[in-house]
Amino acid sequence: MSTTPNGPWQKNPALAWREIDNETVIISPTESVMHELNETGSFLWKNIDGQRTAAELAAMLAAEYEVTPSAALADTEALLQQLASSKLLVPAGTAPAGVPR
Amino acid sequence: MSASQTTLGRGLEQQLELSIGCIPLRLHVSDAQIFSEAQKRYRAFGTAQAQPFSIYVQDFFSENGEKPEFAYEFEAQHASLRAFSAESEFTGAKNAYALDSLLRILLSWILLRHAGFLLHAATVVRNGRAYVFTGRSGAGKSTVAALSPAGSVWTDEISLLRREKGEWRAYGTPFWGEFRAAGSNSSAPVAGIFGLRQARENRVEALGPVGLLRNILPNVLFFSGDAAANQRLLEILGQAVKVIPGHNLAFRKDKTFWEALPS
Repeated sequence: MSTTPNGPWQKNPALAWREIDNETVIISPTESVMHELNETGSFLWKNIDGQRTAAELAAMLAAEYEVTPSAALADTEALLQQLASSKLLVPAGTAPAGVPR
Repeated sequence: MSASQTTLGRGLEQQLELSIGCIPLRLHVSDAQIFSEAQKRYRAFGTAQAQPFSIYVQDFFSENGEKPEFAYEFEAQHASLRAFSAESEFTGAKNAYALDSLLRILLSWILLRHAGFLLHAATVVRNGRAYVFTGRSGAGKSTVAALSPAGSVWTDEISLLRREKGEWRAYGTPFWGEFRAAGSNSSAPVAGIFGLRQARENRVEALGPVGLLRNILPNVLFFSGDAAANQRLLEILGQAVKVIPGHNLAFRKDKTFWEALPS
């Protein structure tokens, strides 16, 4: 499967995460920082499955929330970039990467 | 506390039955000095129970080829542990401090099976409920303990919290900081977790579940890098912060902080 900066991405399997009060908290065994996602971030995180691209995720976001398709795409791409730079996401089909301290 | 002697399996050893957080443990110790120190240190935590988790304190790991479920190297003391489903081996525990450290590390892992966790926190009991004061070194755990009535402090350093029958309870532990007391092998329902900060005036701020999790996570003792173990820990912590009231507590160094706490 080919991967572009916009995906598809998969969650880093080295992480632990769960939803609490409509937020998603993500922790890494190798760092002490807790990452938090708000409701829309949590929606995207739940739907990141190693298959969907940024465009597909943005379409789901636009369908779920009152947001224009262009805004949804911009928000989705920004979040994916942020998550990937923190190694919370890794390109689909690749070995898991460690999370930097 | 019961002690016995055996020559089975791994040579001459003495055994010490413990119960910490209602988790039955059996220490198998061949070094007489370490055994004596362990007897003193854990004297308040001895209760023989069925099917204890065995801990072999020895010079070398057994060469049985079995892959441990959890392993940890305590570099500062050149001590290590390997843990399996029903037993663990400690090596390099040449003094009571190293033994104590390995025991904390092991317990943090065993507690995953018991919906519990260890927290850098002082536990003080008031009116039958446990107030858990958490924070890093210097935050005020020992100060809070010192300002609390004698006998009400169950630990000033490491608290053990477990969910039992739907209720979160705090247990006394033998793991102490400045107080160097024996600890109390008791438990009580958790009244709340309070993130400590020393200040000129007392002030209490309620935390939501995520805020409480953010507050306690740096103070949770956990040493496994295994993703599944960390996922289980997060599930346990997530359940805890949904139920246990959480607060930030700015307090001044006198007994008046108790008046600021929610009843």
